[in-house]
Amino acid sequence: MEFKLEAHRIVSISLGKIYSARGQRGGLKLHKNLLVSLVLRSARQVYLSEPGCPPEPPPIAAPEEQPPPPQDQAARLPAADCREPRPRGCGCCGEATCGAAAPPTPPPCPRKRSAGERGQAGSPVKRPRREVEEEPPPGEQEDMETGNVASLISIFGSSFSGLLSKEPKARRRDPRDGGDATETTEPGQICCDEPVLRTLNPWSTAIVAF
Amino acid sequence: ADIISTVEFNHTGELLATGDKGGRVVIFQREQESKNQPHRRGEYNVYSTFQSHEPEFDYLKSLEIEEKINKIRWLPQQNAAYFLLSTNDKTVKLWKVSERDKRPEGYNLKDEDGRLRDPSMITVLRVPVLRPMDLMVEATPRRVFANAHTYHINSISVNSDYETYMSADDLRINLWNFEITNQSFNIVDIKPANMEELTEVITAAEFHPHHCNTFVYSSSKGTIRLCDMRTSALCDHHAKFFEEPEDPSNRSFFSEIISSISDVKFSHSGRYIMTRDYLTVKVWDLNMENRPIETYQVHDYLRSKLCSLYENDCIFDKFECVWNGSDSVIMTGSYNNFFRMFDRNTKRDVTLEASRENSKPRAILKPRKVCVGGKRRKDEISVDSLDFSKKILHTAWHPSENIIAVAATNNLYIFQDKVN
Repeated sequence: MEFKLEAHRIVSISLGKIYSARGQRGGLKLHKNLLVSLVLRSARQVYLSEPGCPPEPPPIAAPEEQPPPPQDQAARLPAADCREPRPRGCGCCGEATCGAAAPPTPPPCPRKRSAGERGQAGSPVKRPRREVEEEPPPGEQEDMETGNVASLISIFGSSFSGLLSKEPKARRRDPRDGGDATETTEPGQICCDEPVLRTLNPWSTAIVAF
Repeated sequence: ADIISTVEFNHTGELLATGDKGGRVVIFQREQESKNQPHRRGEYNVYSTFQSHEPEFDYLKSLEIEEKINKIRWLPQQNAAYFLLSTNDKTVKLWKVSERDKRPEGYNLKDEDGRLRDPSMITVLRVPVLRPMDLMVEATPRRVFANAHTYHINSISVNSDYETYMSADDLRINLWNFEITNQSFNIVDIKPANMEELTEVITAAEFHPHHCNTFVYSSSKGTIRLCDMRTSALCDHHAKFFEEPEDPSNRSFFSEIISSISDVKFSHSGRYIMTRDYLTVKVWDLNMENRPIETYQVHDYLRSKLCSLYENDCIFDKFECVWNGSDSVIMTGSYNNFFRMFDRNTKRDVTLEASRENSKPRAILKPRKVCVGGKRRKDEISVDSLDFSKKILHTAWHPSENIIAVAATNNLYIFQDKVN
């Protein structure tokens, strides 16, 4: 349990660093953000693999999280993932409703966005297959929309090496389409494969830096 | 005074250049030793100061480009003038530093103030003569090597052929000819086709001191690659790959970060390379790729504090390391304005401090000690009292003498062997 708490804390610190890195003078520091994302990934792995991870989805869960029965391992993961970046402010899950799945003492959620906004912002950004996602605030969207190479990092919930070999197609997504539906259903099945997640090389990482 | 970001002696040790966060370069020159004042054994005084880089704005990417000087490298001296390369994140510049101690006097068409004379008033012609003047040191930018790096430049290295040099950023290394500024050769490119697959970046690069075809570059994964430019134009395939197997007992969330190499330096002999990661300095024999031949603990007492150091960003500090002229001693910085020296032959090490209180002129530096646990002795300092804002990232060692330059934030300390 201690590891879980520490992992949780490290995740929140890491996300905070990534968030604040974007406004830095001199642009994105690729090296530092790569390292932070590695730490984030390994902390997240520990967090997920700890036995203390509660299986229940949050009280007011996103619609697609409720239907899966409790014994469905796959569906547990979206819930667990969803809680991950909570300390940061519910940037996770990409679902507006996830914002409601808040911890007892949630910090303000600067990254809550409506699904529509997300669709727009997705254009130059490779959106994750999983719900765990770093979402830039509205100001950042403008930068991306105008094609500026503003600093942006997306943290992906699962390793690409394992998933690439499985279903490369699943990653290709036209950001301009509906977004939400395709995101959660199609790649969802693969990503939620818990055994895959557990055996993933914890040191592989994914960064999209613009 | 601004935060010093790089320190470098020239090849004779006569000059010492520093670059700072504000884009300025300050060059110190060693005083000639004089018989009159034998105790003033060649002190360094300011020789020249100039603004090398200015902040820029990349409009296309909407990014500010910092003017901070990341590295300075001297060219060997070939005439009366001195040449150095200085670089910020994006642009490398070649500067010529030269002395002027004469000026022409006696022009016909203009007077001493430079104002033009009325030609009709001139009745006599004279030949201008050169007259001595107060020494003036001027720095002029001779070349600007721009627009070749998408990512931040972390290293520059002058080749032993003195005709080319390389510049390295996070993902690419370019080879330049000093005479040509509008193009460079890309010799290493580790950018993955899909940036999502990025797992490591280039952290430092250096040419071999004697073999102009050989260079090394270090990575954020703690590996070093040695490349031979004769094998192919694009050196993506290394000739040698140096990596030490990870110690599984030391695994933590931060293992990756602390294994990232922040500096790599060839020994003067060209036989060894030295690498610095967060907690150690390692010496590698070029002939042995599977592990370093020597490992020195710089501040292992920080190993249990990695989480806090991650929080306050100190874990990302990039320390440099240097060899002395004979490759027998290596030096690197630490926190609390401490710096460490390791004698490779005697295996002795010492911790010294660069601070005003401890450094009266000609006072001898007292070795310092960090108390790790248990009882703290009188002169020791405990780990929790260390000031992590006082970090020594940049140091330099005179090429032939025991004179060192240590940059402590915005102060430069120069220490030398005691005179008998």
